[in-house]
Amino acid sequence: MLSALILIPLVAALVLILWPGKLEAQTAKVVSGIGLALSLALIGFLATQFELATPGFQFEELLPWVEPLGLSYRLGLDGLSLPLLAVNSLLSLVAIYISEPTLHRTRLYYVLLLVINSAVAGAFLAANLLLFFIFYELELIPLYLLIAIWGGSRRGYAATKFLIYTALSGVLILGAFLGLVWLSGNTSFDYDSGLAAALPLAQQISLLVALLIGFGIKVPLFPFHTWLPDAHVEASTPVSVLLAGVLLKLGTYGVVRFGLGLLPDAWMALAPWMATWAVISVLYGSLAAIAQTDMKKMVAYSSIGHMGYVLLAAAASTPVSIVATVFQMISHGLISALLFLLVGVVYKATGTRDMTVLRGLLNPERGLPFVGSMMILGVMASAGIPGMVGFISEFLVFRGSFLIFPVQTLLCMVGSGLTAVYFLLLVNRVFFGRLAIAPPTVAPQLDIELPSVTWRDRAPALGLAVLIIAFGLQPNWLARWSENITLALHQPYQGFVQARTQFAPTAVPAVADTLFVDPALTLPTPVLPVFAAPSVEISLP
Amino acid sequence: MTQFFVETSWLLPMYGLIGALLSLPWSTGLIRRTGPRPSAYLNIVMTVVSFVHGLMAFRGIWNQGPQELLFSWFDFADLHLTLALDISVLNLGALELITGLSLLAQVFALGYLEKDWALARFYSLMGVFESAMSGLVLSGSLFVSYSLLEMLTLSTYLLVGFWYAQPLVVTAARDAFLTKRIGDVLLLMGVVSLACLAGSLDFNDLYEWVKVENLSPAMATLLGLALIAGPIGKCAQFPLHLWLDEAMEGPNPASILRNSVVVTCGAYILIRLQPIVVLSPVALGTLVVIGTVTALGGSLVALAQVDLKRTFSYSTSAYLGLVFIAVGTTWPGVALLLLLTHAVAKALLFMAVGSIIMTTNCQNMTELGGLGRKMPATSLAFVTGALGMVGVVPLGCFWGLRMGADFLSRDYPLLTLVFLLVNGLTALNLTRVFRLVFLGTPQPKTRRAPEVPWQMAVPMVTLSIITLLLPLILGKLLVLPPWQYINWPIAGLTLASGWIGVAVGATVPLSKSLARSLNRSLRIAQDLLAYDFYTERLYEKTVVAAVSTLARFSSWFDQYVVDGLVNGVGLASLFGGEGLKYSASGQSQLYLLTIFAGVGLLGIFMTWTLW
Repeated sequence: MLSALILIPLVAALVLILWPGKLEAQTAKVVSGIGLALSLALIGFLATQFELATPGFQFEELLPWVEPLGLSYRLGLDGLSLPLLAVNSLLSLVAIYISEPTLHRTRLYYVLLLVINSAVAGAFLAANLLLFFIFYELELIPLYLLIAIWGGSRRGYAATKFLIYTALSGVLILGAFLGLVWLSGNTSFDYDSGLAAALPLAQQISLLVALLIGFGIKVPLFPFHTWLPDAHVEASTPVSVLLAGVLLKLGTYGVVRFGLGLLPDAWMALAPWMATWAVISVLYGSLAAIAQTDMKKMVAYSSIGHMGYVLLAAAASTPVSIVATVFQMISHGLISALLFLLVGVVYKATGTRDMTVLRGLLNPERGLPFVGSMMILGVMASAGIPGMVGFISEFLVFRGSFLIFPVQTLLCMVGSGLTAVYFLLLVNRVFFGRLAIAPPTVAPQLDIELPSVTWRDRAPALGLAVLIIAFGLQPNWLARWSENITLALHQPYQGFVQARTQFAPTAVPAVADTLFVDPALTLPTPVLPVFAAPSVEISLP
Repeated sequence: MTQFFVETSWLLPMYGLIGALLSLPWSTGLIRRTGPRPSAYLNIVMTVVSFVHGLMAFRGIWNQGPQELLFSWFDFADLHLTLALDISVLNLGALELITGLSLLAQVFALGYLEKDWALARFYSLMGVFESAMSGLVLSGSLFVSYSLLEMLTLSTYLLVGFWYAQPLVVTAARDAFLTKRIGDVLLLMGVVSLACLAGSLDFNDLYEWVKVENLSPAMATLLGLALIAGPIGKCAQFPLHLWLDEAMEGPNPASILRNSVVVTCGAYILIRLQPIVVLSPVALGTLVVIGTVTALGGSLVALAQVDLKRTFSYSTSAYLGLVFIAVGTTWPGVALLLLLTHAVAKALLFMAVGSIIMTTNCQNMTELGGLGRKMPATSLAFVTGALGMVGVVPLGCFWGLRMGADFLSRDYPLLTLVFLLVNGLTALNLTRVFRLVFLGTPQPKTRRAPEVPWQMAVPMVTLSIITLLLPLILGKLLVLPPWQYINWPIAGLTLASGWIGVAVGATVPLSKSLARSLNRSLRIAQDLLAYDFYTERLYEKTVVAAVSTLARFSSWFDQYVVDGLVNGVGLASLFGGEGLKYSASGQSQLYLLTIFAGVGLLGIFMTWTLW
């Protein structure tokens, strides 16, 4: 069943490759769209069959592959990977949908997009360390080509940089995986949370450092992030959407799954450092974003800031903070995808992304009012305005981490405030004011009329916006999948959390005996009325 | 039947939102054929429904105890977030005030924004605005309150930025969002720490927790300061007061609400939080200090403004400063009475201001004059509002100010003095404005000044009547003290301070042609006040400069150090390769030598231990 998620996009790619004659962009879109819609439907079906109460892998598939190496084709689905898989297919679908019909080398382009989808799905599903690594590397090459062939003017530089960085990340991860299995004397690379239990702390720590740097490059975290702004700026819009929405999540997924999940002793030892690292990343990314003048670069730097929250939450390793990592990954995936999408539409309509040049795009008749409204929604979601998924994610991150790392959490909240600063600058500069497209020194041409955005361009943005709001209003729809895996991941950290909990030990009940509450799927039902509740004692004289 | 209205009172905050959603087709331009009017009517109808429903619930709850509506929203591990609504007489009263004023402001907007193309968008935003405020006063959980405060921040941003094509509006919207956001982020810190420490965010649970908590004093102080930061931003208190006067660039009907009920919502949260803030005497002291500074500073700054709207916005800050003092000295009753009376009077004043702006297209007082006879309804509304604002005759604010002055006179006589001073200065300012706008000879812009159309006149007159009747309503709600308990000396002082203010305002020389004084020292003082003690410039030089320097530094660091290092490594390896290629000379002897040297070294290395 799970293999289908990997195979369906590959089959679609095969169909495209074998398509007789010249492949029209429209046909390619339809074929790949059908493939991705199928896998999305399959994920939906799997979700209905998914047993919420089982913390481990479900729908497991196991085929021995290269047994002497310990490599087996083992797939599994759990609450950590299910939401990410859904986002992967959804955003791939969006990327296919918004791809320019006029691209050259149509066949290759769509095949590459489909291969990425398949590889990422494989990485999220892999329950074997080596298998994960293979998929992790597999996704690299198509992305390199997508940037290097269809990118902007400095695409060669950006693509090579991306390739070198990610290859380095792959080496470190492979090294860590090999070390982990060989040092612990295992013969199989199959994922098992007790894999490193017998290792001495020093070895665990060195393995974890390698893993963290490896995945830290992918996330990306300061100071390994400089490939990201370049890659985003040069990549075309659909690729940016995929890169920000899905591919970065491989890094955070890896951190949570393999760092937090496999190396608990080292994790506890390094947690304070990681939290501090997260703070540096958040503040650095946010501050650097303020100074950007390219819209896409600004959004890219904001990604660096927002992915830092995931590391903070993972470092705190309380149940709430672990589920917050899932929330933050999904919310960042949806929100940054929306933002990149909109920046792409602006770029397409105006030919520039320079914030010193664009003005007043919100103009109702001649500007881009729809894009502007959606952009305001997107940046507000990113800045953590309630009612949207960004808020509840950040709230969970902060709420989950505060008692463990109070100072770091407070500093991360400052980062959340800075998000408002740079995104507000973006909206104010680009969308408010009088419509003009000219550098500040040149007298603006006043009667420009931008091409109106068609419903075709609006639909994906609208869809993402609906999801952002829906999960913001009803976070149970997201939390229910991850509840048990979260508690399972938290299991080794109970002592750590209790020991590090600051201020008020009474506030955090022992989580070991937390009941598995089935989160209400339905809309909140009133529990009512509670009579004679002590009212606020404000008596007028 | 009444119980039904109480039980469904969770709908009350929804009505505004429903109205906003219903008018989306018009605000997005999907429906153009009808013009934007239907969306306005829809929103007005929803507000009426909300008002009536609230009234029914109010009557239903009058003889019962307060009720709590609880909705479990999000449960995860040890985190339980509930959406709690406190249905009490007080909260419903505040809700009635909000929906009532919102209704009047929306009808007012029908006239004021008649020619605006984006009428539908305005009403959508007003719906969100009203909904957030209604939820805020009913909310029984800090989590809900915080969320709605943020919604309020967002909708303020959008409403201030309504005419987003104007440069001043752009900066005003930005400042409104950012200054409020500073307060909100600090408040979020408080909310998160409370959520962690107390385990629940329902106010009732928090009040229980306060009785048993064992926080260190430093922690309690930090918590208290974080909690009051949100209301400081929302109520435009020093040092986060900057946004309110800039926000006057927005459309006037929104200003009516902003100066009356929006700031009230901020203070309302403060009152709800007060039992927690009490943990920290430092935070309470800070409240009093901030309140005093804002009350006096705001009253003085208002005196030097020439903009009709801005001068009143500063006086809003000043009155909210008094509210802060009341909360800081733990007299929430004073705070609530002041909030109520101020909201009604200020809304009326802003309606009058709106009529003037609508008729003359001008809000610069040096260009106005002689409107008194031309616009009788507006003049009457202004006078009524002004009388309601200050303690000159026993209308609304007199009772609030008197009560504050009375209660504080026992423990803090100096703060009583603050109340009296604010009363006097506000009376002075109102008299000054009245003279400038309504008296004197007509100016070019006021020569043709017909009275406003009925859409604006009806709400204005209605609110005038309400303002006049407010003391009776207060008496009916048993809020006013019985005759024999009135502290006559204090009441007399309140009236005296007001009348002195009026007298000074009536006699002080005012010049239209010379807005700035010729006397140098007076001019410096005037400029200091006119530019709000140069707060904006101060911020530009400090906070803004610091953030932008840091931002530019990290961008530079990123480009040249982090990325430079990476590019340097790349370059070094390229050069290394280039350099090494010259070692390949093509002579086989050299290759052999290299191989032998390599193998030799390897041999030495491998047999190292044997030596």
